[in-house]
Amino acid sequence: MTDREYLQRLFASRLGWSLLAWLLLAVTWVSGIVLLALSGWFITATALAGAGMLATLDIYSPSGGIRAAAVLRTVARYFERVTGHEAVLRILADLRATTFRQLARWPARSLASLRSGDLQARLTSDIDTLDAIPLRVVGPMVGALLALVSAVAIALWLAPPQAALLLLVAAAITLITAAIAATAGQRRGRRLVREESNERVALLDYFGGLPELTAFGRLEEHRAALARRAREGAARRLTQERAGVLGEQGVQLVVMLTTLAMLGYALHAYAEGLISGPVAVLLTLMTLGLNEALGSLPGAWWRLGESLEAARRLRETEAGAEAPEPAGAEPVDLPPGPLEARGLSVGFRADRPLAGPLDIRPEPGYPLVVHGISGRGKTALLETLAGELTPTGGELLWGERDLTTLDPDTRHRVIGYLPQRVRLLDDSLAANLRLGQPELSADRLWAVLDQVRIAPLLQRMGYSLDYPLGEDAGNLSGGQARRVALAWLLLQDRPVALLDEPFAGLDEATEAAILERIGPWLEARQTVIVTHAPRRMPAHWPRLAL
Amino acid sequence: MPTDAPDSGLPRPGPWLQARMRPHRHWLLGATAAGLGATLATVALAGLIAWAVHMALFAPERLPLGMVLAGAAVAAVLRYALQALRDGAGHRLADAVKRELREELLDAARRDGPVHLAHRAPSGAWVDHYLRRVEDLTGHYARYLPGTRMVILTPLVLLLTVAWLDWLAAGLLLLSAPLIPAFMALVGMGAEQIHRSQQDEENRLAGHFLDRLRSLDFLRRARATQAAREAVVAASDEHRRLTMRVLQVAFLSSAIMEFFSAVAIGLLAIYIGFGLFGAIDYGPAGSLTLFTGLFILVLAPEYFLPLRQFAQSYHDRAAALAAAESLAPLLQPAGGPASAPAGAPDSPRTAIHLAGVQVQYPDTAQPTLHDIDLQIGRGEHLAVTGPSGSGKSTLLALLAGFLRPAGGEIRVADDLQRFVWLGQDAHLFHGSLRDNLQLASAEPVSDAAMHDALARAGLPVDDPQLPDGLDTAIGEGNTGISGGQAQRIAMARGILARHPLWLLDEPTSALDEATEAALLDTLFALAAEHDITLVIAAHREAVRERASRVVRLAEGRVESLA
Repeated sequence: MTDREYLQRLFASRLGWSLLAWLLLAVTWVSGIVLLALSGWFITATALAGAGMLATLDIYSPSGGIRAAAVLRTVARYFERVTGHEAVLRILADLRATTFRQLARWPARSLASLRSGDLQARLTSDIDTLDAIPLRVVGPMVGALLALVSAVAIALWLAPPQAALLLLVAAAITLITAAIAATAGQRRGRRLVREESNERVALLDYFGGLPELTAFGRLEEHRAALARRAREGAARRLTQERAGVLGEQGVQLVVMLTTLAMLGYALHAYAEGLISGPVAVLLTLMTLGLNEALGSLPGAWWRLGESLEAARRLRETEAGAEAPEPAGAEPVDLPPGPLEARGLSVGFRADRPLAGPLDIRPEPGYPLVVHGISGRGKTALLETLAGELTPTGGELLWGERDLTTLDPDTRHRVIGYLPQRVRLLDDSLAANLRLGQPELSADRLWAVLDQVRIAPLLQRMGYSLDYPLGEDAGNLSGGQARRVALAWLLLQDRPVALLDEPFAGLDEATEAAILERIGPWLEARQTVIVTHAPRRMPAHWPRLAL
Repeated sequence: MPTDAPDSGLPRPGPWLQARMRPHRHWLLGATAAGLGATLATVALAGLIAWAVHMALFAPERLPLGMVLAGAAVAAVLRYALQALRDGAGHRLADAVKRELREELLDAARRDGPVHLAHRAPSGAWVDHYLRRVEDLTGHYARYLPGTRMVILTPLVLLLTVAWLDWLAAGLLLLSAPLIPAFMALVGMGAEQIHRSQQDEENRLAGHFLDRLRSLDFLRRARATQAAREAVVAASDEHRRLTMRVLQVAFLSSAIMEFFSAVAIGLLAIYIGFGLFGAIDYGPAGSLTLFTGLFILVLAPEYFLPLRQFAQSYHDRAAALAAAESLAPLLQPAGGPASAPAGAPDSPRTAIHLAGVQVQYPDTAQPTLHDIDLQIGRGEHLAVTGPSGSGKSTLLALLAGFLRPAGGEIRVADDLQRFVWLGQDAHLFHGSLRDNLQLASAEPVSDAAMHDALARAGLPVDDPQLPDGLDTAIGEGNTGISGGQAQRIAMARGILARHPLWLLDEPTSALDEATEAALLDTLFALAAEHDITLVIAAHREAVRERASRVVRLAEGRVESLA
């Protein structure tokens, strides 16, 4: 499938709205042309009639036509904008749904890259570029084409074919000018984007690394490099803007010179007796009126290139997908477990394992406590056991099946994994806790909130389950957000629980209180807990030092 | 934040934008002159076209058509060239202002130091202001400001021309012009009101998609991606409904513009037509000719063009005002008087001497540090302790020169002007591990020396955590590196720097106990071996028991010496 086909499929479902918007745009432009051309014809005809050079003239129907064109233009313009934006916003919803579906199928490790602000910004700007295609790329092209066809038809009707030919030549020159300007502009544009992202990194190092740069006496050097980069960037942006200005004014000049050529031809044809005086003026002003339609072509052409690139990048999100979107349906054959690791080694690169080989088979009733200094692969071990990181060696089994071959949704039915940091939804407390199980009762939610000692806090402040957590749980402290995530896990009835530092940042008394309340839940399944304070865990739980 | 103060002395955004432009206003003058020239060329162009038609119809034998067309072509080239110059000058103006502003942002960071910098905004926000916010000013200087001139000058020139041709036609144009902005403002206020009433809801819905993307792994583990996708569609639809409510009113504003200009052109044409026909015998209508009529008709759309362009650039103004409001506080010099550096301490055995030092942040009622007298000897390992908020970090920043005292004096030995700094989170620079280690040293450092320093810092280069050895890539925000690793790399960097003064602000607060112990052992062994002066702020026992002297701060005062 090419990018073009991808776009066609994307926009097909909203074609009705787009077609309406394009048609209205064409009506706007054509009525503008008619307004100018008819006015020219009218005053020339009246001048001739007034001078006695024209025998009869009905002055009321042309003036009615002028008024109609003026009103039609206004009305068409208004509804063109309304329907165009309606189409854009509908396509935006489609695009978000499509993109979301594709990203939901990404492997867990690749999802980490979504946390980068750069990628998020690019994704949103790509979607914004794409959703505007019908309004800002195709619309002007279709509208300009229809306006040109109308003008050519009028010219063929009223004058010898040379007049129509002149219009076609002008349109061709405009299109070529627009295409050349756009191609050069886009090449520079790509460079600009690349340079800006480098500049961003250098700036982060300057503003973020100011203490280090000052201490090591490197500040001046860094600042000078940044100033140079800024100068070069400014020069590039200026060139780009200059090219845009030249393209825009260039097209306007082409249309104006065509108008003058049309004037010359029309007056010549009038002198030869081929056309009447009013028609000569009509042809001239009609050509002048085309400037609005043709003038939109450089911008549209420019955006076409950008849009194709945005489409290509968005389609790359498809390429990263590994599995069909989780359907939530019950799979047919899932062995009852248990989770078992044999000779398992973990790490980010096969030739440099962080830990292992390990034989792990946590038993219900005996949660496994993993500890050790940071950087020894505790988190990597949990991620591997959760099936989100490929083992660098050994076997990871669910029953007698290889856990890594299970599709992600099936895996999530058996494995409850609580990473160190969970990014909660910008939604209510209840909505977060009910994620995946919308049917849970309020009593159940209050019960787990009590287990993680959040309930007393909420009651004291008078908050309900509708308490909004805010973006990235901004309305909670870091420790509270972790406990909400823990409460969510407690609501899941999954045979395996993997917890990464669930009590970090809590004082010892709170930790003990929570542990006492959730102990039975932890002991009811295969559990692995990573902690930096193993002495706080019950003595009879087995330990594993990394 | 200092910006919240009732009388912060900050300029209002409008005058601020104006003041930024003043040194470069020759570009605005140039843009205005070019725009005016283009308008005059337009008048000439319209006149030549009208004259050609008039003569061709009424006195074809006296028409030098070729010359008239050539003259018109010259006028056309002149017009569009001047318009290109006008827009080019506008962009030059924007470029000059933006360039100067970016330089000043870099200088503000250097002048006020890391403490004030962090106090005003996180470093990510500084970058965002430097790149995006400054760029938001482009439209204001490139389009809006020249637009304010052209929206007066061009219609004025055209109006005078038309008045000279036919004062009644000019009256018609004159009447329609002020009606347009008045109606547009009225509609604009209506749209603004709707927008304000639903702004929170609009923002929430606009952010919904990104929020769900950021939480995608949580959604997957909860097996809720399908439901979330449906919610994304529902939120987008709701957002569309709200947005269209605003847009339907906002578009009326441009419809009014279209309506008045189209109707005015239409009315003009009808007036001229009826006048030429002889159906009007009032005022100047009787003396209309095809030349004057056509001349006026061709100029009429040009009369409304600057108004339309100005209306489009109006949101440029709004964006620039918003940007100005957030940029201006960043450039304000850090408040309060600061005492000048006082030279080296009297005794060569003293590394740093503080006498009666006082620090007060602009937005606090109480000084953060009062009357600190402190003498730090060479080779001393000094721990600064105290509860959070007692001024430990401020004292360390003061020693580092990141902050100037409001009173008292600080004397630092001449050979200690460069030092090793280790904060709570070490900043690693984008690039390879090798680049980061090289940063500390002016001379090239050999790989062997780097291996040695890393090993001493407890992170041997063949450690599995450094998959590519010295070429291990370090990304934006230390990606791919854990907090403990970053602190060890920073320590290796310090070892390579060979500076005899180390200042450390809670370097182990983000680490677990075992990692902390390993790091501190390395640090103190190194300091003892190389006779390094060590000042370390910490609230943990592990630091206090290793130090040779402990200073305790409480509420900005030195409380006890142990």
